Amino acid sequence: MCPGSNHALAASAIAFTYHNQATPSFRDVTLKVCAGERLLITGSSGCGKSTLARCFVGLIPHLYNGELDGEVWLGDSRTDQTPLWQLAERAGMVLQNTQAQMLASTVEDEIAFGLENLGLPRAEIEERIEAMLERFDLCKHRTHDPRRLSGGEGQRVMLAAMLARRPPLLVLDEPLSMLDTTAAHDLVVHLSELARQGNAIVVCEHRSHYFHDAGTFREYPLPSPINISAQDDASPAPIYSAPHFDLGIENLSVNFGQRRILDNISLDLNSGQIVALVGVNGSGKTTLLRCLIGLQRCAGKIQVTDGAMPDLGLVYQNPDLQLFNPTVREEILFRVKEPDEQLYRWLLLRLGLARYEIHSPLLLSEGEKKRLCLAMVLMHQPRHGVLLDEPTLGQDHHHRILLGHTARELAAAGRLVIVATHDLAWAAHYATQMLVLHAGRIIANDKPSVLLHDSDLWRRVNLRVPDWIWEPIA
Amino acid sequence: MNPFNPFRRGRGEHKRLIRMVPESPLRNVDPRAKLAICLLVALSVMLPLERLAIFWLLFTASMIAARLGEEMLFQIQRIAWILIILFILDWIAIGPDFALLITLRFTLVVSAFTIFFATTSPEEFRLALERLGFPYAYAFSLSLAFLSVSLMIEEWHNILEAQRSRGAWQEIKGLRRIGDQLNNLVALGVPAVVLTVKRAWTFTEAAYTRGFDSPHRRPYRELVMRRVDWALSLGALGAIALIFFWR
Repeated sequence: MCPGSNHALAASAIAFTYHNQATPSFRDVTLKVCAGERLLITGSSGCGKSTLARCFVGLIPHLYNGELDGEVWLGDSRTDQTPLWQLAERAGMVLQNTQAQMLASTVEDEIAFGLENLGLPRAEIEERIEAMLERFDLCKHRTHDPRRLSGGEGQRVMLAAMLARRPPLLVLDEPLSMLDTTAAHDLVVHLSELARQGNAIVVCEHRSHYFHDAGTFREYPLPSPINISAQDDASPAPIYSAPHFDLGIENLSVNFGQRRILDNISLDLNSGQIVALVGVNGSGKTTLLRCLIGLQRCAGKIQVTDGAMPDLGLVYQNPDLQLFNPTVREEILFRVKEPDEQLYRWLLLRLGLARYEIHSPLLLSEGEKKRLCLAMVLMHQPRHGVLLDEPTLGQDHHHRILLGHTARELAAAGRLVIVATHDLAWAAHYATQMLVLHAGRIIANDKPSVLLHDSDLWRRVNLRVPDWIWEPIA
Repeated sequence: MNPFNPFRRGRGEHKRLIRMVPESPLRNVDPRAKLAICLLVALSVMLPLERLAIFWLLFTASMIAARLGEEMLFQIQRIAWILIILFILDWIAIGPDFALLITLRFTLVVSAFTIFFATTSPEEFRLALERLGFPYAYAFSLSLAFLSVSLMIEEWHNILEAQRSRGAWQEIKGLRRIGDQLNNLVALGVPAVVLTVKRAWTFTEAAYTRGFDSPHRRPYRELVMRRVDWALSLGALGAIALIFFWR
């Protein structure tokens, strides 16, 4: 099909079915991407974006068992007939979790790894490393451990490691999922610049708003695997109403060695609030949540109206830390005394988990696992509320809305919902209160509609408020 | 700092097995020379008590000179309770000399490998293995495992905390509730295995997307045994021989 053509990538009627599945993850994908072109592949969770990205670079079918129909060409190489190391010279791929794909202990060695595999002489490797460190502003991190860098810096390291090999095509799988708004904006700008210099760019991402500013990303929507609107359940939440309470935090401080992580935080919160906790990585958001649930030793006082510690449930950012039961049902009902069947059914429907009830939790997507963890916590009906650490991470548009509705229903039942998030758009629509954390201190506490218009505040905490944040979410 | 609880230093300290000490002069020594020194030091456990005590003092002085004294102390603190229990049992069962001998042996073996792992990066470890004849794929995998140890410990603590927060891990005292202890083990073990397998798979994909299986690979760095490396290796060999055979 493609020999002699100038396409960086060409796919013809491709479909892929994993060996343990009956239906393909996606089907009939036909597209071409030329040098300098930008393609954005969008779609809901589970529609096959990540699988498609792996087909583009040849990881499928080389490393995965299953049936690949159709043909994928990288330049004049058909992916199923060319060894992976040759395909790697034609296409680079940045995986979803950048920190997890770091293979070396310093930034310099991370970039060098791919260059060693090209068989380049040492002088040229050195030259290319220098050029990449300069281009991605990484010179000061040269000897640093790349896994300890921030999300945005980690993305830049991975881009540098890939582009040092000079592949004509770059494929990125959900590159924005771990980034705050500033880092996400910067990455999109970087990608546009790369395209202008002649690289073909393919991005699989459901946070498509960020790419609309960049203008010329051609969108290729993958069809949704199910009719997700059918998952909506209009029945009211069967959660008993909790009596009003106040949660008081006084002079809360946490030190890690010499470092002060939380610095004398005092705060009053009430039942029925949805509180968004925002700030850059390392500002102390997760530590504050851990203090509220009693997992982090701290100085200061945390108490509810009756003087006791609050009874709160915590949903972790990484759901894999908690899942171990054989089925979704057993996971949700684990150690629940006298389970409320009506609540259980409602949670399954509301959180889009009904069709997975007897499936293994380990086979769910990241977004589904996070919703399962929320269901687990809510099934225990914590008396005062829930703490959610980056709940929208890995969720598509539809499930972000569902999470927002669930938070509102919990608040209406008198619970306190505290959400640590980078997702300012979600916070703008669903939070009733916003706390801005910076270097362990709360530097702003007000309604989102007030704070999000304070441009000086966001400049100070180095977070960007995108223009589209106020667009209707539903 | 509590001498029996090195976990009180601050965040992250309890999650590490060993800390890289970049300021140590041994950081620039060829990893093969360091490996040879470690093995020779480990051999010294066969010395009788008096000579072992002298060697232990010399070794500790050398570690302090190499700026590895703090790390050596940290590693000994990690096994402080085991050392104390062994010391008491040995004293009761055999006598004070034997108790001291066993304690010195344990502390030496634990400290010996600090020389290598506190001053060698995973990349140098990989190069050393390659030069010792390991195939590249195995050397690369072992260096990744070396790189991942600290991550795995961090993950283990996170799993423990996450399971405790949902009531899936409980402190159980006594042997009667073996079933509950098994439940605890499953609650910790399954996520640990899942996360490890996921990380290994991500490493595989990341390596192959950068040409890991290329037949044209040419290493960026190379190991060269310099005079100082030979001198250190031979010096260590000489010191061990002297202390073994000196009359």
